[in-house]
Amino acid sequence: MFDIAGRRFWFFLISGVVILIGIISLATFGLKTGIEFSSGSRLRISFDEQKVSQDQLKQELANLGYPNAIIQSEIRPTGPGDFLIRTRELMGEDKAQLEAGLTAEFGHLTEKEFGGVSPEVATETARNAAIAVAVAAIGILLYITWAFRRMPSPFRYGTCAIVALLHDMLVVLGIFSILSGILDWEINLMFITGVLAVIGYSVNNTVVVFDRIRENLTKGVSSNFEVVVNNSLVETLSRSLNTSLTTLIVVLALLLFVGASIQNFAVVLLIGIVAGTYSSLCIAPQLLLVWERGEWGRFIRRLPAAKAKGG
Amino acid sequence: MTRRNMLVFTTILALFAFAICTLILPMFDREQIRLGLDLVGGSHLVYQAQFPEGATGEDKARAMNRALDTIRTRIDRYGVTEPIIQEQEGERILVQLPGFTDIEAAKSLVEQTGFLEFREVELNNGNPVYLGDYLENPNPEFFNKGEDGTRIFVDENGNPIAFLIKDEEDVLIYTDEAGNPIDLEEVKRRAEEVLSEAVPGSWALLSWILARGDDGTQLTGGFLKEARPSITTGITAEPEVAIEWNEEGGIIFDDIAERLYSRPSESPERCIGIFLDNILISSPQIIEPAYHGSGVITGNFTIEEVEHLANLLESGALPMPLQKPPLYEEMVSATLGADFIDMSIKAGIIGIILIMLFMIIYYRLPGVLASLALIFYGTVVLALFKLIPVTLTLAGIGGFVLSIGMAVDANVLIFERMKEELRTGRTLGAAIETGFNRAWTAIRDSNITTFIVCGILYWLGKNIVASAPVMGFALTLFIGVAVSMFTAIVVTRTLLRLFVGTRLAQRTSLFSVYSGRR
Repeated sequence: MFDIAGRRFWFFLISGVVILIGIISLATFGLKTGIEFSSGSRLRISFDEQKVSQDQLKQELANLGYPNAIIQSEIRPTGPGDFLIRTRELMGEDKAQLEAGLTAEFGHLTEKEFGGVSPEVATETARNAAIAVAVAAIGILLYITWAFRRMPSPFRYGTCAIVALLHDMLVVLGIFSILSGILDWEINLMFITGVLAVIGYSVNNTVVVFDRIRENLTKGVSSNFEVVVNNSLVETLSRSLNTSLTTLIVVLALLLFVGASIQNFAVVLLIGIVAGTYSSLCIAPQLLLVWERGEWGRFIRRLPAAKAKGG
Repeated sequence: MTRRNMLVFTTILALFAFAICTLILPMFDREQIRLGLDLVGGSHLVYQAQFPEGATGEDKARAMNRALDTIRTRIDRYGVTEPIIQEQEGERILVQLPGFTDIEAAKSLVEQTGFLEFREVELNNGNPVYLGDYLENPNPEFFNKGEDGTRIFVDENGNPIAFLIKDEEDVLIYTDEAGNPIDLEEVKRRAEEVLSEAVPGSWALLSWILARGDDGTQLTGGFLKEARPSITTGITAEPEVAIEWNEEGGIIFDDIAERLYSRPSESPERCIGIFLDNILISSPQIIEPAYHGSGVITGNFTIEEVEHLANLLESGALPMPLQKPPLYEEMVSATLGADFIDMSIKAGIIGIILIMLFMIIYYRLPGVLASLALIFYGTVVLALFKLIPVTLTLAGIGGFVLSIGMAVDANVLIFERMKEELRTGRTLGAAIETGFNRAWTAIRDSNITTFIVCGILYWLGKNIVASAPVMGFALTLFIGVAVSMFTAIVVTRTLLRLFVGTRLAQRTSLFSVYSGRR
C-alpha cells in the first residue's frame, strides 16, 4: 500500500515552493487587468469594398498588436454594417497606425466615430469577487464543521478545507501571474469566472476525502490516525484522479476547440483542478494529521527557510 | 427486476422525453435558450447627455455617475441580465442590452427621466389661476409673486401643452416641452384645442406651481424612501403606488398637506399634482392635514403601469435629461464572435464523448450506464436553462462545463464503492445497494458544500456586490450539481438495477472486477 501520509512534509515543501514562486511573481509582475476593467478607446469603422468578417478583423487586430480588442459588428437587414472596436487607450500615433494597418489588409475604411470610453466592468468587480470568495469560505467552514460534528474537534476539518482552498487560490493566482508576465495575458471576466469555479471544485474534492476519514474513524480501522488518513487517501485515490481526469477532459476540449476567447477561463480551471486535486490529497488531510499530532514544531524545523519567506 | 424499479425507469424515460421536447419545441414564447450579450448581441444605444448650462466638469462627472447607476438599477429591475452601461467621452452614455430585440422598449426604459415633482394650483386672491388668466393679461407678471418657478399647463390627459417661465431679464415667456420659446398665438391655438375637447368644469389648463415646504424646499422624488406597487383598499381594487417619504420628505409633505387642507374641499386648489417628467399623472385631493411620511399615488393605472412606475420612482430620477433620439440605436453582434456558441457546443460534445469513452473503458458496463446517465444529464440541464429561464453567458457556460465534469463524479464515487463490495464477493444486487448507501454521505456533503458556495455567490451577486456574472455562474453550477446528484442517485441506480438477476450480473468482469480477486 502507498504511504501517502508519511510524505506529508515533502508535499508541504512542494506547495510552499510553488506558492513562494507565485508570490514573488505576483510581487514583480503583478496581475495585469484587461481592457474590460480600464478605460480605453472606441472606434467605429466601416470597410468600403471587401466583406470583412468579425474573425478576420480580430485576427488582423491581434497582428497589429491588439490581441485583447473587443469587436462587435452592427447587424443590418442589408448585411453587415459598421464594426465597433474597443481597444486599450489609443495614444498619439496609435490610431493612425491601427487604421493604416487595417487599410493595408482590408482596403479603404471610413472612420465614423472615435472616442474614449469608461471601463466596461466596474473596477469593483474584481474586489467584489474577492468578497464573494471570502464569504463563501466562511460558509464552507461552518458547514464542514457541522457535517463533521460527531468527530473529535470538527472545527479542524473545516479549517483544513479552507486552508486547502486558499492554497488553490494562491497557486492559481501565482501561476497565472507568471503566465501573464511571460505571455502578456490579462485578467478579464473569464478569469474571475474561472477562479469562482475553482472554489467549488476544490472544496468538493476535499470533502470526499474527509468523508472517507470520517467513515474509517467510525469503523475503527486503526487507532493510529496516520494509518486511518493514509488508508482513506489510498481508498479515494482512484476516485479523486478519475474525477479530475473527466473534468480536465472537458476543460481541455474547451481550450482546444474554442480557443483564445475562453483561454483564461480554461487555463485557470486547468491550474485549479490540478492544484485542487493535489491539495485534497496532499494538503488538507495531511494538515489534519499534523494538527492532530501537534507536529507544528517538527514541521517548522524541517522547512525553516522556505516557509518563513512564503509566509 | 422489481415492479417499483420499472416504474421509476418509466418515469425517467418520460422525463427525458419531456426534456427533449422542451429543447426542440418553442415553450413559453421562447424558441431557444436565452443567451447573453457576449454570446448573441442585442440592442445598442448611445445617448448624448444634456447638462444644464454652466455645469462644471465636476458637476458633470457626478451627474454622469449617478445617471449610470440609475440606468443600471432600472435595467436590472427589468430583469435584463448582464447589460453593459458605460460612459463615453464624459458626455455620452452607451447602453447594450443582451437579447433585447425590442429596441423601442429598450429606449423607453433608458430614456424616461423619471423626474418626479409635486405641484399645487397657483392662487390669485384665493381663486385658482388658469392659462386664460395669464393670456388675458397684456403685461403679465406671476400672480403668486412669492413663487418664481415654472408654471405648467396641462391638457385633460395631463400632458403639458405649455410652460411659463421667467427668463434672464425677468420677462415671462412661454416655452414648449423641449424648452424652446413659443409665441402667444401658438399658446392660444393650443389652449383652444384643449378647451374645445374639454368637458365643462374640467380642471384643464390650471396653472401648476411647485409645491414647497414651509422652509421653501421643493418636494421632489429625491425625498422618496420607498415606492412599491399596491392595491387600493376601497370598494373597487385599483392598482396604485404606495410611497414612503424619508424623514425630511415627510415633514415637507405634511407642511404642504396642512396648507392645502385648509382650502375648500372638492376644489382644484385642494389637490396635489404629481408630475412625472412634466406629465401630470395624478392629482389626488388632500383629505388629511398630515400624512406622517406615507402616501399613495392613485390614477387610472393598470397593474403593469404601477409596477413600472414604482420601479421608475425607486430607481430614482436621471440627474439630467438625455437627448432624443439617441445618437445610435441598432442591433449588434456578440463580443465573443459569432461562432463562439458553435465552437462551445462542439467542445462540449467532444468532451462528453471522451468522458464516456473513459468511463466505459475504466468501468465497463456501469460506465455504459453512466454514459447514458450523462446524456440524460446534459439534456435535462439544458431543458431547465430554457424553462427557468437562465440567461446563458460566458460565466454561465463556465458553470455548466464545470458541472459536466463533476456530473460523473457521483457515479465514480458509487462505482468505486460497488467494486469494493463486489470484490468482497457480494452479489450485484447487494453490491449496488451497499455501494450507493456507502457513497451517499460523500456525495451529500461534497455537493452540499457546493450548494452553499452557489447560494452565497448568488446572494452576494444579487444583493451586495451586484455582479451579474457571479450570479449567472452560481445559478448554472447549482442547477448542474443538483441535476447531477439526481442523475447519479436515481438514474444510474435504476439502470443498474435492471441488470440484477439477469445472466449478465454473474459476469463480474463486466464490472471490471475479476473473479481471481474475489
